[in-house]
Formats: sequence, structure tokens, C-alpha cells
Amino acid sequence: MLRELEDGLVVRNAMTGSTHLLEPLAAEVLGLLLSAEEGMTAAELAARIGDEAELQGWTTSMEELLLEFKRLGLAGPVD
Amino acid sequence: MIVGDLTDEALARLLSGPGLRLRTGPLVTRISSPLADIARGIALLYRDHEVQPAEGFADFHVRIDRPAGLRRWLKPQVQFQFDGWPPFYPLPGDQGFPILEWGLNWCVSTSCHQYLIVHAAVVERGGRALILPAPPGSGKSTLCAGLIHRGWRLLSDELTLLDPSSGQAVPLPRPVSLKNASIEVIHRFAPEAVLSPTVHDTLKGSVAHLKPPVESVNRALEPARPRWIVMPRYQAGVEPRLSRLPKGRAFMQLVDSAFNYHLHGAQGFELIARTIDACDCHEFVYGDLEQAATLFAGLAAEA
Repeated sequence: MLRELEDGLVVRNAMTGSTHLLEPLAAEVLGLLLSAEEGMTAAELAARIGDEAELQGWTTSMEELLLEFKRLGLAGPVD
Repeated sequence: MIVGDLTDEALARLLSGPGLRLRTGPLVTRISSPLADIARGIALLYRDHEVQPAEGFADFHVRIDRPAGLRRWLKPQVQFQFDGWPPFYPLPGDQGFPILEWGLNWCVSTSCHQYLIVHAAVVERGGRALILPAPPGSGKSTLCAGLIHRGWRLLSDELTLLDPSSGQAVPLPRPVSLKNASIEVIHRFAPEAVLSPTVHDTLKGSVAHLKPPVESVNRALEPARPRWIVMPRYQAGVEPRLSRLPKGRAFMQLVDSAFNYHLHGAQGFELIARTIDACDCHEFVYGDLEQAATLFAGLAAEA
């Protein structure tokens, strides 16, 4: 369950019952993951979100964000 | 019939016999106790509450008594029992009324899952509820006690009951718990306020309870629609300052303050979302109760 609010996205994970407030970047990434038909890599996410000059930095950020999503049970690796 | 209609002897007989069936908002509690402190506290602070006939349903059956054994005679203690079971350790003998109040809060917060229960004070004006979630020591109960002596109706100083079907805040008007310096603050702020004698050296420091205003008790079946969520914080010497709280943070504050959010699942999420949508959300710092009351009167007038 999702609720978009002025300072981010509130998301309830039905698997764990936990509720989280995602800041705008994390909310955008989760939105991309939810709308993707297949999984997305950190580099693909970075390319959709950041500008090319800073792609490496964005990829690192995406990797960290995906790890956090995995910890929260909001996203996980696909085969 | 209300508690005030009973003579001291009749009240003591009920408490030490079949129990006093006391209505507080939507709930009925059967209270029994042979202790004079309990009878005195109920006579003083629940004077306007409805007494139900001795026979009948009660949501909770509680008893305050001395624990068995030598301690009954040597440094006496008091114990709270729920359905014959003591959920807490006994406390010193002069803490009978505080343990009754803490025990009743425990009963509601662990059992009334028909509501989403938020650790927050809630007051009403013009049909609109002001919810005050805050951790202990933030000045929440003091602010609540001040507002109910400046035109606001008490729904609860401790437990905000949100009805998932209507989204409304359901009243549970009971004595307001005041601690330490706030006891004297309320004495000075509202000289007409009825307070219990102060009990010292409790787990929470010095504690006194404030009688809920009669109008709040008489309107205990009148819910109110949430309109404001304000997180208060007392800070000595500051001017009152109300600042906007982003709604995502307010949402998480309600989630974190709710005793039983996890039990309500998706319904709890929806209920909090509806509440947040309906409310203006603020943080509030104050150092003077009169200034705070004036500011909230203005807030109510603007809405």
C-alpha cells in the first residue's frame, strides 16, 4: 500500500506489516521497480534517474538503496 | 445514576462487594477494592461518571488490593489485578489510585483493538478534534489539562481511540495524570480544577490526577472528527511556536505512537492516511500555558 505525501512516499509492506517513509529519491526508485516488467539493475536505475556525468555516483547510490530495500523487504534480487 | 449520587458508605460497599460498574465513554469497568484510598479517589475524580447496575457486562474486571503475606502489615503495598491476574509488580501502599489509573490505561491499550489506539491526548472544540501525540515528559498532559480549562472538551489525556469505520476520535474522559512541576502549574492556571492529593516517589515522580470537567463526562458518547495533529514540546522560557509538520512525518508519528497499528493491518494504514488527509499537522513548542491556550483558541477560530 502506498500513499504519496508532500515529503515522500509512505509505503506499507504487506509481507512484514511494516510501514516506511521513503524520501523522494527512494520513492522514485521504488516506483520504477514497481512499474518495471522485469528487474532493474542499479546501473539501469541510475541511468533513468541521474545525469550521465554523474552516472558512477548514482549507481553507487542505487546499490545502497537497493540493499536498504532488500533489508526492509521492499525489493529483492530476481533470477 | 452517577458516582456523585452514591453516599460514601454506598460506594465503599459496592467497591468491597460486587464491584462498581463504572462507565467511561464506550467502556464499562467493574472495579472492586476494599481500600479507602480507592473509594476516596473515585468519589472525587469520577464523581460525574455513570454507574451501571451491579449485574451486567463489563469490558474489564479489575481489583486493587493489598497483596497477601507479611507485606500486608509491614510496609503495605497495593496490587492491580485484571481478571484475577496481576500484570504488574505491587507498588507502595499509598499508590493505590495511581495504580488503578495506570492499570486502566493498560487494560485499554492491550485490549480495545476495535480501535486504533494512539498514545496521544485528544481534545475537541466545535466538533473538531485536536490530537496531541508526544512521548512522556513532553508536556502533553499539561497542555491537555490547560486546554480543557480554556474551552476545549477532554476526550482523553493519554489514549486517542480512532474508530476505523467512522474515522472519528472516540472519547474516553478519565482523570488527567499530572506529574511533578505540572501539578503546581495547573493549580495556578486553573484554581477551580479539582486535583487528587499528590502521591510522591512513584515510578513517574510525584503524581496527581485532575478531575475531568463535567461537560466532557456528559458528552462522553459524542465522538469528534480529527482536524489537527500537533506534536507538543514544553521548553521553559520560549515563546509559543507552531510550525508545519510535513504529512509524511506526521503519518509516521501516528504509526510509531499507536499501540496496535500492527494488528489493524491494511485497515490501520488506511485509517491513518484518512486521518492525516483530514488534519493540519504541526510541531508546537511552548513555555507558557496561557500563551499556548490563546494560540490554540486562534487555531480553532481560523478553521
